[in-house]
Amino acid sequence: MTSPGSAVDSLSAAIKCNIIPNQEYLLQGSVLDQYVEVLLHRLRGLCDNVDSGPESFNDHELCFTLRGNTPNSSMVLPLRVRRALDVPDAPWQLRYVGQHELGDKNRPTAVRSSIDMACSSTIVEFLTELGCRVDFEYIARGYMFRKGRMKITVSKIFKMGSMASKPNESVEPISQSYLVELSVLAPSGQDAIAEDMRIFAEQLKPLVQLEKIDYKRLAHIQ
Amino acid sequence: MGVTVVQNFPITENRTGPSTIELLTKRISALGAIQQGHFLVDCETYTSVPQLGNPRTVHILHNSEQPATVFSILETENKTIPLATDGLFDLLMIKMANFYTSKKQTKAESKGPRYEIGDFLVKLGTVTVSQNFKGVLVEVEYRPCVVPAMCWELMREFLQGFLGSTAQSAPPLYLQNRMQDIYSPIDTIHQYLEQFTIYRKAPGLRT
Amino acid sequence: MSYNSNSVNISVEAPIENQIQEITYDGTEIYQPPLTLSESLAKFAQKIDFSKSNELDIKKDTDEAFEDNKSDSDSKDAFQSSLWPWDSVRSKLRSALQEVCVLADVLAIAKEKRYLVLDPVQQEAVETKPMVQIYARKKALAGAANVLLTGAERLKTSQNEILRNRQTPDFHIELLRLRQNWRLKKVSNSIIGDLSYRTAGSKFFQSGMFEVTKAEEEEKTSSPPSSPAPGIAQVSKSNSSLRVTVPSELQGVAYIEVLCQKDQEDLCSVNLNLLGSGPPTANPEVHWQQKLEAAQNVLFCKELFNQLAKEAVQLQAPIPHMVVGNQIMATVLPGIQLVIGLCHSATADKKNQQTAPAPSKSDHDHVLEHSLHQLLREVHHKNTHHPFPHPSSAPLGPSKKRYLAGPMAADRHELLEMTHTETLLEQIIKQAQHFFMRMRTEYVLDTIAKEVKDPLISSHWNTLNSPTQSCVKINISTHGYDAVCRTPLVIHVGEKSLKCICRDGKVMHMSYEPQELRDLIFCHINQHQILAVQALAKTMGWQFLGNSNHLGLGSVEPLGNASSCLLGSPNGDRVIAVRCEPQSGVQVSVAHSPRTDFFPSRLVTERKWEHLGGQFRDVRLEKMEGRNFLHKMELLMASLTSNS
Repeated sequence: MTSPGSAVDSLSAAIKCNIIPNQEYLLQGSVLDQYVEVLLHRLRGLCDNVDSGPESFNDHELCFTLRGNTPNSSMVLPLRVRRALDVPDAPWQLRYVGQHELGDKNRPTAVRSSIDMACSSTIVEFLTELGCRVDFEYIARGYMFRKGRMKITVSKIFKMGSMASKPNESVEPISQSYLVELSVLAPSGQDAIAEDMRIFAEQLKPLVQLEKIDYKRLAHIQ
Repeated sequence: MGVTVVQNFPITENRTGPSTIELLTKRISALGAIQQGHFLVDCETYTSVPQLGNPRTVHILHNSEQPATVFSILETENKTIPLATDGLFDLLMIKMANFYTSKKQTKAESKGPRYEIGDFLVKLGTVTVSQNFKGVLVEVEYRPCVVPAMCWELMREFLQGFLGSTAQSAPPLYLQNRMQDIYSPIDTIHQYLEQFTIYRKAPGLRT
Repeated sequence: MSYNSNSVNISVEAPIENQIQEITYDGTEIYQPPLTLSESLAKFAQKIDFSKSNELDIKKDTDEAFEDNKSDSDSKDAFQSSLWPWDSVRSKLRSALQEVCVLADVLAIAKEKRYLVLDPVQQEAVETKPMVQIYARKKALAGAANVLLTGAERLKTSQNEILRNRQTPDFHIELLRLRQNWRLKKVSNSIIGDLSYRTAGSKFFQSGMFEVTKAEEEEKTSSPPSSPAPGIAQVSKSNSSLRVTVPSELQGVAYIEVLCQKDQEDLCSVNLNLLGSGPPTANPEVHWQQKLEAAQNVLFCKELFNQLAKEAVQLQAPIPHMVVGNQIMATVLPGIQLVIGLCHSATADKKNQQTAPAPSKSDHDHVLEHSLHQLLREVHHKNTHHPFPHPSSAPLGPSKKRYLAGPMAADRHELLEMTHTETLLEQIIKQAQHFFMRMRTEYVLDTIAKEVKDPLISSHWNTLNSPTQSCVKINISTHGYDAVCRTPLVIHVGEKSLKCICRDGKVMHMSYEPQELRDLIFCHINQHQILAVQALAKTMGWQFLGNSNHLGLGSVEPLGNASSCLLGSPNGDRVIAVRCEPQSGVQVSVAHSPRTDFFPSRLVTERKWEHLGGQFRDVRLEKMEGRNFLHKMELLMASLTSNS
């Protein structure tokens, strides 16, 4: 048996082989509350495992940023922490999500770099002490589906109530619609999957318009 | 998963690192231990840039015994927070390069052969700090037990069995406050960090 | 025309659109431009038919009127031209004017009532006989009803005719039924179906494409009396209007044969056949549903066999598995092979030959048949049912255990275990091994129960067991003395080993050799007898002087050790010694002290020495009365007690 190489070495080897899924292909849209049932019905018909019914989830997400004290510093590192409130033994998730790259018109989906990892529950304290600040937090409840490698989530976003320590209570929805996301996490360069996503999004068309959202434009609207 | 004790084995004047390992190998083999591969524990330390305010230190450790895990220990002025994550945490540290920088000369690692002898797991590690040989660390794990207080005496006896008089009579500093707790892999990491910190501070070989 | 109540006003209108003048080749319609007001007036005026009014003889005044009108409207030459469009209009208007003038004059005169009187004229009454009308209507209605009825009758008979002529249902209805059960899609002009298990999670390379076509009218081919086999034609006619074409490699019937061989001799055989291996019909034109099901079964068997063969080649077994042609041979236990074969017969004749010997063997056990089937289904299910991640933003793919491995710091061993999955072949071998272990255990227990009448050995098999583990509880007791002593044992039957939990809590592990279990049971029978005697002695008031489970005295036993015990009578003058040997059975000896009669000798001068214990004398148990050993011992103790 050869001596084990250092973990960093094997990681960099994995990066070189491009087997680490670090790109997220994403399409987003929304559907009004009164039509969500219809959408769920449609998704049940389109997605895998129709026999077991849709999988529900109830997640709590905290969005952190790590930035320097100096006001003009452009160095900003956004980090997200998510945990499943309905599955207590599931690990927490730490996630870095990069900038949306919309690409040109021919590109069917938005792409953003993503590093995500499971972590222990000390993560919130760790990040706080690391110098991160909580920007906002929310609760996402809804259903998820899968179709091959594609993951579809239909989630309702809730504002955190005053009692941050008890996220299950005192929540209020931020809008009268559901957020619909179609995403695939893949190693970079697998653009073929984006085409599959576009075709899938087409099939949901009259119910929900899934498209690449330009966040910069949203920022201008505000 | 059992209780682990990590301990420095002092190198006497007339011996080199490899000969010390050889000596210990001979002793442990005489007890009937069988070599089962090798092991590696490494540690990289990152410090915060001044723009972040109060100085903080993040130690990133890997243990080949838990190959899917990256251990991080964050040290602030008054707190120590451990974190266990997937292997991708290393990628995130690259992203944090603007905020936390590593000092290359502090990269410490302990590696060497791994032996199994009954319920015990023995690892004889050669410690290097930025490629410089610093000493020998002996790790002993007693696998059937998870509470240190319940097996410390047994482990001490075992340690004395092959380390002789150099075996410590008291449990490692880190374990002393946690003798009644359930032992977990992060405790091993804490012990290694404790040892690596001493090695880094020592100017030459640690005796 | 008489207007009666039945009449209906019908108004006919021209569509309010321009007339089409021309349709060009590209389909555009060129409309006529609408008429101007004057044009349309002229057009309508031309349509007026004044012929009826012309019949009236009013010529006398026409000339005057003509001239009046002419003078203020048109020239003379225009009047003479017969082509002048207003000519007839003018003349007719004039004659109308004349009539109106005359009428006005008449009315004026009549109004004076001096020269003219208007008398009412008796109008001739219209003959309206209601009865006649009713009859007429009735007749008309009856006529109409008749027409409708005959029409309906004709439709009905023609429908019946069609049904009688074609017993096959409509093609489209058939297609709809097919579509409800099978995957179909239209590719250009043909309909292609897929009968593979791919949507259910199969990853088998072979596709299960089939083609659906409309069956040709069979009547044309079969109706001529010269047809060689009208009977067959009749059968095929009753099938359907669909024809399903299955690729040749999926035709016929396939099944997987599982045989357990002991030194080349068949022990048992199981046929795997999803359709329940009924005798296949000779008719090649079976209904499409059966045809597709059979093809799907063939595909399933092929996938199963393919998977097993692949595993057999890859697996590193101490005795390598063999794959020869359509057979896989794996060693289950020493001397016992598991043979898995794929039988695929394309034609009906061969099939009959192959299935004929099968029923004679297949009355053994259908567990392996079911298991193989189930195992592949399980693989399929796992392929499609991946766990969802929690939290929802986590990646799809890794199992929950793997996702937890990082933060929970799983060690190398745990991670290796996660990647390890048991192959189908390994699982079926384990099941076969367990099957043999169970059979052997059953056999050993039954033969011992048959051989050994005293004590009684009863075994209870747990009804709930898994394919690789079962459990049997054994009770050793003596008839009539169950309450005194009972030795329970529990045996867990595994894949290649047995685990016995003894009465005292000791756990014994045994290999697959049945002799080991046999020896163990005999040792326990032996132990039971000694313990039972001791328990009996207690109830009889005898004293328990001592025992040894592993007696070092006497001849060496081939298995285990002899055990013994010593019992003293209530007043202590008699001692019974029992020695139990697994092989040679029970020996009982009795000693009296003191003896009832004393003869002083040179060596033993006084009677008191007799208390030291006397000589043991063997009891010939087989000559004693009593149903079994314990009963004999009870009688013996009772007799020795009463004697004192």
